[in-house]
Amino acid sequence: MAKKLGFLVNIERCIGCHACEISCKSFYQLEPNMRRRRVTELPEELVGTPVRAFVSTACNHCDEPACKKACPVGAYTKREDGIVVHDQNMCIGCQMCGKACPYGVPQFNPVKKKMDKCSMCYDRLDVGQLPICVEKCPLEAIQIVDYNEVEPSNSVSVVPTFADPSITHPTTHFILPKPGKQTRRF
Amino acid sequence: MLNETISRRTFIKGSVSLSALLGLGAAGTQAPKGLIPKAAAKTNGKVEQFYNACPRNCYDTCSILTTVEDGRITFITGNEKNTYTKGRLCVKGNTYPRVVYSPDRIKYPMRQKGRGSGNWERISWDEAYTIIAKKILEIKKEYGSTLPICLNKYSGNFNILNYATEGMLSSIGYTTRAQGTPCDPAGSDAQGFDMGVAYNNDPEQFLDADYIILWGANPSWTSAHSMYFIEEAKENGTKLVVIDPLITQTASKADEYIQVKASTDGALALGMIRYILDNQLYDKEWVNQNSIGFNEFFAYVKKNITLDWAAEKTGVPKPVIERIAREYATAKPANIWIGFGMQRHVNGGAMVRAIDALAAITGNIGKKGGGVNYIGGETWGFNYHTMSFGAPEGSGGEEDRFVNMNNFGAQVLAANEPPIKMMWIACRNPLAQDPEPTVVKKAFDQMDLVVTADLYMNQTVEYSDIVLPVTTPFESVGINVSYWHYWMNVNEQAIKPLYETKSDLEIAMGLSKKLNQIEPGSCTFPVSGDPLEWVEKELNNDIKALFGVKSWDDLRKNGGTAKANESITVAWNDLKFRTPSGKYEFYSKKAAQYGHHPLPVFTEEYKAPKEYPIRCMSPHWKFGIHSQFQHQDWLMAIQDHPFIEIHPDLAKTRSIKDGDIVKIINETGYMTLPAKITKMVPADTVVMYEGWWKGVNYTENFTVKALAEDMGEYKKGQRGIAFHDNFVNIEKA
Repeated sequence: MAKKLGFLVNIERCIGCHACEISCKSFYQLEPNMRRRRVTELPEELVGTPVRAFVSTACNHCDEPACKKACPVGAYTKREDGIVVHDQNMCIGCQMCGKACPYGVPQFNPVKKKMDKCSMCYDRLDVGQLPICVEKCPLEAIQIVDYNEVEPSNSVSVVPTFADPSITHPTTHFILPKPGKQTRRF
Repeated sequence: MLNETISRRTFIKGSVSLSALLGLGAAGTQAPKGLIPKAAAKTNGKVEQFYNACPRNCYDTCSILTTVEDGRITFITGNEKNTYTKGRLCVKGNTYPRVVYSPDRIKYPMRQKGRGSGNWERISWDEAYTIIAKKILEIKKEYGSTLPICLNKYSGNFNILNYATEGMLSSIGYTTRAQGTPCDPAGSDAQGFDMGVAYNNDPEQFLDADYIILWGANPSWTSAHSMYFIEEAKENGTKLVVIDPLITQTASKADEYIQVKASTDGALALGMIRYILDNQLYDKEWVNQNSIGFNEFFAYVKKNITLDWAAEKTGVPKPVIERIAREYATAKPANIWIGFGMQRHVNGGAMVRAIDALAAITGNIGKKGGGVNYIGGETWGFNYHTMSFGAPEGSGGEEDRFVNMNNFGAQVLAANEPPIKMMWIACRNPLAQDPEPTVVKKAFDQMDLVVTADLYMNQTVEYSDIVLPVTTPFESVGINVSYWHYWMNVNEQAIKPLYETKSDLEIAMGLSKKLNQIEPGSCTFPVSGDPLEWVEKELNNDIKALFGVKSWDDLRKNGGTAKANESITVAWNDLKFRTPSGKYEFYSKKAAQYGHHPLPVFTEEYKAPKEYPIRCMSPHWKFGIHSQFQHQDWLMAIQDHPFIEIHPDLAKTRSIKDGDIVKIINETGYMTLPAKITKMVPADTVVMYEGWWKGVNYTENFTVKALAEDMGEYKKGQRGIAFHDNFVNIEKA
């Protein structure tokens, strides 16, 4: 059976530090404002008690990628393992994919005049290495999972700020934090 | 939604075996991590890797692995051989390639015509040295000593070789020095009175703790690598309690969060102690064998402290105090980490003494995984060779003169006979980081010459006469240790210095050469030398034995990082305290000598003045260490302006909505900035994070007075600043 690789983002462990995002930016030497992975603040009352919570997302390597459908030159392919790959050599920079993606993942690189997005570091995966964000998260809060093998029962496929998964069937899943006890003055 | 029947740990374990299915099982063993796929594709490129050390004023002081392709850095990450860094850097460390190649680097020595005018002209190093050397000699002639020259240097770079700046100033004669620290002084005095010196357990021992209290510490933002060990401990069943006035990022991860009124933490500790004594939960044997003054302290607590008082004072309900006290006293070992922020109050030192006492009566001191952990200096036993040369013969004056770094502007202005006429600033940004920056600016106005060595055009450089461009860690050699973990990290030169930048050591040698050219014998600092030879001179036999290394070069060849001998990683394991009695001192005569109560008593907190009823705290921010990092465009792309956090209840009283521009004001100053409405702060407090945002012409210190902490003189020479006892009013702008 083919694989269905996706990110599993553990919000309970995530400290919202952005090291995933910046290590990715550093490794790929991206332009300063390019963000292949981004960390977004979640509503404070996510789990009932008010906390600082963040979610880290990149390309969701969807089952039905809208970017692929929208691309007029066929620059997008979906690998057998589920990774959605964007070929910058074919890209004409029309930005249709960026508009089509419900998650706003493909970004325009103003220097190369091409679109750019997370590749799940497939070249690293292919030689037995982990994606940079997975390897470099100080809290080990991001993993790669083959969702055809196991769908973690403690994970969810949507969090606030994340678009309706029924549109493109993203593979990313999330582990929500458990609320702690709080004694607050206000 | 969340399925409670499968714990996250179970799942993570499951997914590790899954990685075999993914063909990832060999990750990290089959192929080395780092840049290999990219580098391999580039067959003509020369790929090298170097060890570096993050030298910033940070608990984590990481060991770094730097990849260089064709002379250019292409990736900077953590060194896997260091079990604390674990091959990963914090968000700030991940920006290092941009720190090096930032378009904002200062490239050449420059002279400014008109301080603050922005009218800079490029000059050569020779011209810069000549201007500075002539001014030094002129001052020496006019005043008969070099005391009018003031050095303000601190923690921007803790590479041991950077003490060359202090050494160079000592080598011209006696000078005036900014003394003390804005960091840890009150707490370090407190631990000094109690135990002789501040000394913390290895943070990797969080894994050995049964119970962890993070008391005013926010490692999620200030020590991400410690947070990993804390999260791992939680996974293994350790309870994490966070006590803090703010719902910090770390408080958000706690099993239990307790919101204490700011500056009453000592009352909470004393309330817990009362409960522990009343219920016979203390460690009688430990106290009898290892402490003095316990009876006096016990009597003080019985007479003066009640649970009702503690609850009233701290805002923490009595049943919560009782329960936490019982849990803490019965967990073995229980670990307390006291954050530096907790002691930045007028009663900060006394509060740390109370928390120390809590750890002592429960016998948690001297235990692996336990402790009352604050800061430590056990691994800093270098030679400090760069500071060993002394004043030249015939120097005027008898010794250096000190001004308090924490009230720098006022004390420079007050210095007389002789007045201060020249400043050398390195590894520091006083016009942004000091309280009362306007007073600091006035002190600058009195100077004939202000020289600043820095990487970027920050607020202090903008108000200097001469700027000397310095190297990043990747362009010079060095060695670093931490005040928290127990590793020593080598810093190799990975690339040639960019532009005309020089290290502080090279600057010291260059200036000495010029001084000796103009007036032979006027500076004792060596005029030349190989930095590799300088760094080897820092290691003595004791430190080599402690870390099991033969030399700096030996460590460079063997992984770039070494951990200290286990014998020192459990603080006070031998229970031989460095106090006058050799015991833990609940009753400290030394404290009394310094004008404090000899016992760990509660001293009153600073009260809000009527006109300025709102506390404004300025804790550390996740994208910066003081004024470093946040200004880089990689981080500005995430957060491009400062903001102030306001509780919705408080915001409502002023009709302030999220995103509104608000004015915060007190008798010291004011600023306007966007509001962020959030329940993460209490309704009597606003929070503005510390940092330098590029293009922003104010800092959190605009409203901060040079209000002294209660302690600091014993260990640091000067008291610290009660940064968090800052009171303001706010209004919609």
